[in-house]
Amino acid sequence: MSVAELLWVEKYRPRTLDDIINQKEVVERLKVFVKERSMPHLLFAGPPGTGKTTAAHALAHDLYGENYRQYMLELNASDERGINVIREKVKEFARSRAPEGVPFKVILLDESDNMTGDAQQALRRLMELYTASTRFILVANYPSKIIDPIQSRCAFFRFTPLGKDDVVGRLRYIAEREGVDFDEEALDTIYEISEGDMRRAINVLQAASVMGRVTVETVYKVVGMARPREVREMLKLALSGDFMGARSLMRKLMLEYGLSGEDIVRQVHREIFSQEIKIPEELRVMIADYLGEVHFRLVEGSDDDIQLSALLAWLALMGRRLK
Amino acid sequence: MDDRIPWVVKYRPRRVEEVVGQDEAKRVLREWLKQWAEGRVPERRAALLHGPPGVGKTSLVEALAREFDFDVLELNASDYRRKSDIERTVSVAARKKPLFKKGLLILMDEVDGIDPKADEGGIEALVEVVKVTGNPLVFTANDPWREQLRPLRELCLMVEFKGLSETAIVSLLQRICESERLQCDREALKLIAERSIGDARAAVNDLQAVAEGYGRVTLDIVRALIKGRDKSLDIWRTLNNIVYARQAWMAKKAVTQSEIDYETLITWLNDNIPKKYTEPEDLYRAYEALSRATLQLTRSKTTGEWSLLQYVFDLLGPGVTFARTSGTISKERYGFPEKIRLAMQLRTVREIREKLAEQLARNVLASKSIVKNEIIPYLTIIFRNTSNPVMAARIAIGYRFDKETVKFLAGPNADNIIKTIEKIRRAKPEEVKNEKIEERVEVKKQPKVKEEKTVKDAKSKSTGSLDKFLKRS
Repeated sequence: MSVAELLWVEKYRPRTLDDIINQKEVVERLKVFVKERSMPHLLFAGPPGTGKTTAAHALAHDLYGENYRQYMLELNASDERGINVIREKVKEFARSRAPEGVPFKVILLDESDNMTGDAQQALRRLMELYTASTRFILVANYPSKIIDPIQSRCAFFRFTPLGKDDVVGRLRYIAEREGVDFDEEALDTIYEISEGDMRRAINVLQAASVMGRVTVETVYKVVGMARPREVREMLKLALSGDFMGARSLMRKLMLEYGLSGEDIVRQVHREIFSQEIKIPEELRVMIADYLGEVHFRLVEGSDDDIQLSALLAWLALMGRRLK
Repeated sequence: MDDRIPWVVKYRPRRVEEVVGQDEAKRVLREWLKQWAEGRVPERRAALLHGPPGVGKTSLVEALAREFDFDVLELNASDYRRKSDIERTVSVAARKKPLFKKGLLILMDEVDGIDPKADEGGIEALVEVVKVTGNPLVFTANDPWREQLRPLRELCLMVEFKGLSETAIVSLLQRICESERLQCDREALKLIAERSIGDARAAVNDLQAVAEGYGRVTLDIVRALIKGRDKSLDIWRTLNNIVYARQAWMAKKAVTQSEIDYETLITWLNDNIPKKYTEPEDLYRAYEALSRATLQLTRSKTTGEWSLLQYVFDLLGPGVTFARTSGTISKERYGFPEKIRLAMQLRTVREIREKLAEQLARNVLASKSIVKNEIIPYLTIIFRNTSNPVMAARIAIGYRFDKETVKFLAGPNADNIIKTIEKIRRAKPEEVKNEKIEERVEVKKQPKVKEEKTVKDAKSKSTGSLDKFLKRS
């Protein structure tokens, strides 16, 4: 056994198109591009954890070989600061050395559906401008958020949630390779919880393996722990009227987990629709409504601590009206 | 007399004439107390003195009592606020006869601090005492218009105290300077008076602070001291003026005239509002105002439209003041914002998380936000597992996490993980070294440009608003 370990999502990621066992139709079409050394711009769409980015990397690997990453510009629309940054990087990359035997380099733009309509228009111009030397692979969760002019310039690939056999089969393969002790039902449970998201499934398996034998019970434990329980506690305290208690948990979440205001808002949003929080159904909607306002103010650049304090004060008020 | 004695005590008015201003209040109150002194019971057996802090409410009562040779029994409403306390103390005192002097006056400070819920029955008990008292009863309040004070208001002689004029405060300060043989510039005294916003107590405190530090009071020193000195007094006063303002313009003045920059003020309000406002409705409304204030502040900064700042002041001042509709103001002390203490720590944690997300994003082929939400939580579980630190240690080696990152991921379990890493290193030093090279091949291919940029970004951030804000406070 080697001393160093990686995240299994990295360790067991398919490196070549041949390694990819699912999304068969997609893979077959991609292999044709490799064979012909020619391809249009591509749009990969589908839910998280279905292998979109992995397929893009495998495609580039098969096109350019082991050192494929020098011929691929990896951009993430949610991490880059605006279309201007993207434009500069694309410009610079387009000028860089061309690969041997393939007439184009690849630009991978992940989470491209997070771009605004204006940014996408600018992107479309970029795609036209550099089409001689580069091909774009756009990756998106929701293809409907990609503007039509871009969609019409791309070959469209739909990635579907992974089936049970694929997920459980992969989990079993990893577990056996890693010498993990497991119950067969635990793998079924992981599949159900991860809803066809392979990344989440593998993460749950790895985290559960640390706790000893992987059972249905440890799987649920991991899933519960993946969301800091302080979020739920904070909500409950606020709704019970304990503003100060709720706020000190909020600060703990920020300090110990490094969560930002937006992170916390997202997690609260998830919690309010959970049955663990016992409140009238219409209050869930009211909270969601107010949460949207808080979220918006955070996006506009308002102070995390104050916006969340306002949220907690509002929850304390709502909680008291319930009594 | 000990020189260290606070001047507010040393120069407390002893005679009615020494009380600055408040002519109307003096007249009304003297008339009222005269009736008691002559053995007649006035129609209203209690007086409620109201007005901002530091304008002479308590002083005038004490001076008048001396004039009519009355004993004064001083009670603070925050000490005796429950029904049983009031019956035990005030009711008893109301029937007592003075031993040596002509009469006994009962002075109860800060009745607006009685909480209608927590101190249930307190006001009712006071009302009962007022109806039957055989001794003059005086209440003071910053804000007498609270709903819960209504029954008391109906029975009391209402006496208003006004904020003191600058001229009145300057002449008070001048008197003190003469008596202390202090060299004082009139302009300096004016500046102190101006900043006190009608609060004589605050002005005298400021004067003493300057005089004790420098032996003289000049405009330059006052200006310099106001800038450089510990601002807690200033902050305290600003907060108090906001919280107790009776009219919108007062609250706004408290904000615009404060020496505190608005970002510091926001931080202090953020941590002190929940101390002073206990009613959930009030608390929510105050936070809504504060939240909108920060929003306006951001907008004004991002658009460069400084005229938007005035709305920030509106929301910070009157917005916070009049968020309070029914609840009382808690007597809890203002406190130093926890947030300022935590800010550094918070920034460090965020930077570690950001760095980790950036590193892993490249390795697991996902955005930083996916890493934060879908990877780091599971890593946290692995690193916080106390019974099996081996996997975490191996991952730490695999990704060459530094100590800070391990601490961030492992929290209280960090020592356990770090020890295990060291154990592995000692056992197989060669392999650890090789692994590093072997596993990091991919990263080497990544252009270095991105990393340098991150460092630059982090630097430019650190010289940004947070630093400024820490310096200011």
